[in-house]
Amino acid sequence: MIQATRNYLTFLRRCARLACAGDWRYYTWVGALAVLCLLGLNAYCKQFAHGLVTTGMSDEVSWGVYIANFTFLVGVAAAAVMMVIPVYIYDNEELHDLVIFGELLAVAAIIMCLLFVTVDLGRPDRFWHLIPGLGQFNFPASMLSWDVIVLNGYLLLNVHICGYLLYCRYQKRMPAKWFYVPFVFIAIVWAISIHTVTAFLYVGLGGRPFWNQAIIGPRFLASAFTAGPALIILAIQVVRRVTAIAPQGEAMPWQGNASGVKAVRQRAATLDDLDSLVRYLPEFASVAKETRQAILPDLRVLDVAAGEVLLRQGETDKNTFLVLKGRVVVEREESGRHRITRSAGPGEQFGEVSSLAGTPRMATAIAEEATQVLSVPADTLRKLMKASPLNKIIRARMAERLMITDRALMILRNIVQVAMTINVFLLVCEVFTEFYAGGLHIASSKYLYLGLQGHHALVPWIWTAIVFNLTAMVLLVLPLSRSLKWLNVTCVLCIVGIWIEKGMGLVIPGFIPSPLGEIVQYTPSLNETLVCFGIWAFGLLCYTVFLRMSVPILQGRLSKANEGKPEFGSGGAGGG
Amino acid sequence: MPDGSSHQNPAPADAGVSRRSFLRTSAVVGAGLAALAASLKPLMEMNDFPTAERFMQKYYKEMTPADMAKVLKRIENEVEKQYGIRPHVRDLKPMDGVQFVYCLNLTRCIGCRKCVHACVAENNQSRTPEIQYIRVLKMPDGSLDIYKAEHNYDPAMVPEKGFFYMPVQCQQCEHPPCVKVCPVHATWQETDGITVIDYDWCIGCRYCEAACPYWARRFNWTKPEIPKDRINPEMSYLGNRPRRQGVMEKCHFCIQRTRAGRYPACVEVCPAGARKFGNILDLKSEVSYILKNKRVYIQLKEELGTSPRFFYYFDV
Repeated sequence: MIQATRNYLTFLRRCARLACAGDWRYYTWVGALAVLCLLGLNAYCKQFAHGLVTTGMSDEVSWGVYIANFTFLVGVAAAAVMMVIPVYIYDNEELHDLVIFGELLAVAAIIMCLLFVTVDLGRPDRFWHLIPGLGQFNFPASMLSWDVIVLNGYLLLNVHICGYLLYCRYQKRMPAKWFYVPFVFIAIVWAISIHTVTAFLYVGLGGRPFWNQAIIGPRFLASAFTAGPALIILAIQVVRRVTAIAPQGEAMPWQGNASGVKAVRQRAATLDDLDSLVRYLPEFASVAKETRQAILPDLRVLDVAAGEVLLRQGETDKNTFLVLKGRVVVEREESGRHRITRSAGPGEQFGEVSSLAGTPRMATAIAEEATQVLSVPADTLRKLMKASPLNKIIRARMAERLMITDRALMILRNIVQVAMTINVFLLVCEVFTEFYAGGLHIASSKYLYLGLQGHHALVPWIWTAIVFNLTAMVLLVLPLSRSLKWLNVTCVLCIVGIWIEKGMGLVIPGFIPSPLGEIVQYTPSLNETLVCFGIWAFGLLCYTVFLRMSVPILQGRLSKANEGKPEFGSGGAGGG
Repeated sequence: MPDGSSHQNPAPADAGVSRRSFLRTSAVVGAGLAALAASLKPLMEMNDFPTAERFMQKYYKEMTPADMAKVLKRIENEVEKQYGIRPHVRDLKPMDGVQFVYCLNLTRCIGCRKCVHACVAENNQSRTPEIQYIRVLKMPDGSLDIYKAEHNYDPAMVPEKGFFYMPVQCQQCEHPPCVKVCPVHATWQETDGITVIDYDWCIGCRYCEAACPYWARRFNWTKPEIPKDRINPEMSYLGNRPRRQGVMEKCHFCIQRTRAGRYPACVEVCPAGARKFGNILDLKSEVSYILKNKRVYIQLKEELGTSPRFFYYFDV
């Protein structure tokens, strides 16, 4: 128990140290975010001292850009589930590596949501009145009390899932299914619920006809599943860029050599080699003595110096390698960039996927230090994998790599494509119902889309959003957005379009005109805007640090095995 | 670049390097703390930091009579300290067999807004910025469409020809949407039909303000200010005691008067006799007579099912 706690503290300490180390790009980005956070904190302190008079809100428009951002970010948090569903329900391989990124984004988004709600409170010192048991909790009548439960619950669920999976990966231990899979499925339902509850916050108000429509709930989900995955696409592309180990197009030192394994000392394997393997791969003990003897002629032991290439991306040979001594780093080149996908130490395998599938090598493996590996032909590996414990560990380790393929991005693109189309469709349904039937209750819609009695502060905004959303939809349908550059443009259009449509375009017109028919417009104040920037900066800072810690863990470069060794240097992940 | 950079950054081998890196770290940490302190500076401008006693104050419905007595005493001291006048703060309970109802005669109202200002004076509302519970709508004859209402009319003389006036304040709904949405039970309906607010429990989320279909609720966007000589010292806990920054307030049918057998200030001040107030359970009351005998009366936004205890009627 004490040892386990000590291990966990070491893990946290190493993660924290990693978060403080980086290259100049990382420091610039983190520094800029920290400055914005402090500016936001300063603005909030002004608001705390003088009250919400420092915002642009009034008794007429009593919620503003805080609640608008909150609504948008709940959607982003909920959208993490769109990565989880394909992986856990449809067993999608491509997205498998990226689930953690989606869930970490959810954690950062929920932190921002909670901050946005808190800064919107007139009496933040009385927050404890909201704590069930301690204060007075109007559950289930108040939708806001539901929101308190679902948001905090979702935060805990995601922190648990991400934290547990990352810690297991760090320890190179198989996660216990009962300890996280049930939570994954709860989180899927929960994700839908956080956004539905937030929609009901508005939908439940009979006195606000602009909000009091059943379609708001489905629209919220559609827009969330557009903006969320779009944000994840951008984040992943940033991760891909900053984790590249050489500038785009630049050749790595080992490239250009003649093909094949050179300068390698080879010898036949002995039973002693297999015994030493058991030390690091206890599951190998289940292979019977006779079997070991029988496969011995197929096995070779390779000794390579640091920097030597063991296998090359694109080549076709059939061997799997098990590391006996030293460490091997596996890198993959895609779209002209090299990235580390995996780092294998003693007892760990590499090259097994293409070996078993008979496909060309997906990556290049290079010895990081003087290394000894055991080469196993595919047929022999299949024979070995008949022993169940070995089969289980090898299969589990197949997934332990960080690929971030183009195909994963294309799957996310498909999600954004469908969600955006549904979102636009639902918007058309709503606009038709409002304007075709007409009547008194459409005053808010008129104010939003056309302007009312000479007031049209929101008109340019909503039309910008509509143009952005429609352009994004067209781009998503066209093959053009299969190119990553156009995909980025499309994602930015989606995010900005949805932010306007669902933040300012939903919250503000609900208040205009007032229930007594008065038109008072709203513009966020400078102080209010600074608070918003501060919270966004804090959220991005959280996400950056999360990624900075989790990328090396997913790559296998930060693990319990290399505890005590000098930390690898700067670089790694950043982004957000 | 992650690979190989461990070679570029040599491990701190000698004392010189580690001292330099120590100095650099302390410089970064020091600058960070200084920046943090600078950004927290506006908190110094705060002059109304909640005391431990106020922070820990219990919810209205959970206070024992002894707790309440202590709190009332404290409020009296606070008011005296701030405004230099000793108030009389009570916690008046609803009376048995009483359900308050308000009737407003739209034929009689002349739009003079005397009720608006009497209300401000009676209920110790903030003067800067001015908070008013009653909004008088100037409506063209022939329509009850509030989208045609004029809010900021300012003629030399009222009433103007071709218009009628409709004052709107808290409608004290039988099914109040504001009560339903409050996440902390800071607002509730009492047995005499008045929806009240515990100003010391409200967290200021303004969900009730969004939920109210009558725009009856007001928020203290900053610290309310009342001139010392304008304080009404006759106060009640759920009524007109001075509020603080960041909480909601609204019309409470002058709880400090009506639960002590008096009329609300707006009823008393109305020069046209347009405002009637009383107990609907008392069959001989004025309001009972009006609701029994007027052919048409109006509950604003009746279709929402809020069922206001505030009735508009015409002399026909």
